[in-house]
Amino acid sequence: MGLVIKETKEILHDLLDNAGVAVIYLDVNENIIFCNKKTEKLTGLKHEDILGANWLKILFHKNSSIIKQDMFKAVLDECMRHKREKDFEGVISGIDKNERLISWNFTPVVADNNQTRGAILIGHDITKIREAGNSAKIIDETLKNILSSLKDYALYVTNLEGNITYFGMGSEIMFGWDKKDIIFKHVNTLLDADNAGNNLNFILEQVRLYGRFEKETALITKTGNVIPVILTVNKFLDSSGKHSGYIFIAKDITERKKFEYQAFQSEKLAALGLLSAGMAHEINNPILVISGRSALLMEENFSQKIKDDLSLINSQADRIHKLVDRILKFSQKTKPAFGPVAVNEAIEFILPFAQYSNLPNVKVEIKKSFEKDIRPVKGDLHQLEEVFLNLVINAYQSMPEGGIIKITTSSFENIFALIQIKDTGIGIAEERLKDVFMPFFTMKKDGKGLGLSICHNIIKNHNGTIELESQVGKGSTFTIKLPFIPKEECT
Amino acid sequence: MTCKVLVVDDEMPVRNLLNDLLKREGYKVTICSAGEEALEILKKDSFDIVLLDIKLPGISGLEVLKNIRDTDKNLPVIMITGFGYNEDLICKTKEFGCSGYIGKNMPVAQIITTFKQYAKDVKKGE
Repeated sequence: MGLVIKETKEILHDLLDNAGVAVIYLDVNENIIFCNKKTEKLTGLKHEDILGANWLKILFHKNSSIIKQDMFKAVLDECMRHKREKDFEGVISGIDKNERLISWNFTPVVADNNQTRGAILIGHDITKIREAGNSAKIIDETLKNILSSLKDYALYVTNLEGNITYFGMGSEIMFGWDKKDIIFKHVNTLLDADNAGNNLNFILEQVRLYGRFEKETALITKTGNVIPVILTVNKFLDSSGKHSGYIFIAKDITERKKFEYQAFQSEKLAALGLLSAGMAHEINNPILVISGRSALLMEENFSQKIKDDLSLINSQADRIHKLVDRILKFSQKTKPAFGPVAVNEAIEFILPFAQYSNLPNVKVEIKKSFEKDIRPVKGDLHQLEEVFLNLVINAYQSMPEGGIIKITTSSFENIFALIQIKDTGIGIAEERLKDVFMPFFTMKKDGKGLGLSICHNIIKNHNGTIELESQVGKGSTFTIKLPFIPKEECT
Repeated sequence: MTCKVLVVDDEMPVRNLLNDLLKREGYKVTICSAGEEALEILKKDSFDIVLLDIKLPGISGLEVLKNIRDTDKNLPVIMITGFGYNEDLICKTKEFGCSGYIGKNMPVAQIITTFKQYAKDVKKGE
């Protein structure tokens, strides 16, 4: 039996001295009554110096911060007084006063009478582990910063079945999905099903065959918005080089698309200008003949009735001439020529054109309240006509059930003309008002969202202002202020 | 002496109208329908003024003008066009040496007034 005890003691001794952790036994006065070899190694002190000393003096050098010591004290207090086992990480002054990060376990030693006899402190030096962890973390952090600063990119990974296993940098922003909600969902969730090229099987087949796939396509956000992207898909190889999934990199090309669309629009306008020029030429010739012949016939000896009719034919032909001319000028997009513009006439001119945007069987009443002989403003006639036309068309389109468009012109203190176009339509919510003049803002299903931004630019270039007031369900009012032309320029 | 006008326009109703309108104003008018034909006529006969359409089949009005200017710097040539008032076109015709520009989109009375204005230096018919 005695032999067994001796053997057990030796085993315990070996165990404690060769343990990879520091083991310290404190008495109830917090003095060290036992420590193992690892403790000596950790503190750089000898066994005889440690035993009997207060634990704080051993673990913390003179210069150690009081705060750190107090934290340890508090933990030990809780452990001994409340007899609770405590796990925590704390820094001590190790060998050569170098700070060591230790993962501690404080366990109270409780006697049979439930009195605390002391505490056992087991400390595992995790300084190196944490340092390694930190550098990995730093690299990870740097990578994350680099990738997240590459705006408009989303990077996500799927397994071989196409289920999303990683939803990384930019993906949450681009798609509006929370990582936790999209993980393990099929990658088809992000593909715009309406886009013909978005056949996942085809994409993955291409990657399997050629190792890579790149295509301009469209993806879809959580809320159903379609984003034009360049999608690159590569094989994802695991650490052993085995093909274990697919890496998707999507680059948002919305801005480029907008630019392309604008370019397309201006090309279209240019084409329209050419078309109008050709059309005007074809119309002008026969109209000239009609008006010329009617003018010549009027000089013949006909009855008054015939002469009146000929005069009517002649004046109507002239009207067509003028109309063609204005359409031609309107579509020609010539350089802006600033001069006196009579706003009442400009509005009158565009009204018949705007009426074409009225839906059939919808009753829209136009109420005009024009200030008679209002001073001309300084501007480019065709550009201002474009603004008025856009705003009146907007008014028509915002009243699918019909309503009233009220157009008012008035002068403000002889400084500027005030033009108001008011409708009784659907209105715009307050939170969206700030965006209405932004390019590509639209509330119409097939709208391009360019009209109001063009209006805004034109008015700005005329040193004027354009404002919108609106109430949902009640209607909108556009108010334009345009400076009058100075009298000396009014020739 | 009657002022002789050569009218060049490919559209028959237009050139007949111009013929009638100008004759009524006392001009002696010759009409033709193409640029090549106009140049031939100009070689054989002399005119006081040419009213020349820009858009013509075959050689265009601008080329006819250029051809005329190669041999005659002073013959008044007035361009007439269905394109209406077009700054670029006006600049180009001036560059080629035209003496005036009339848009077919003008009211008839104005066309005649404008023509007369351009032709004021040319001796009028009776």
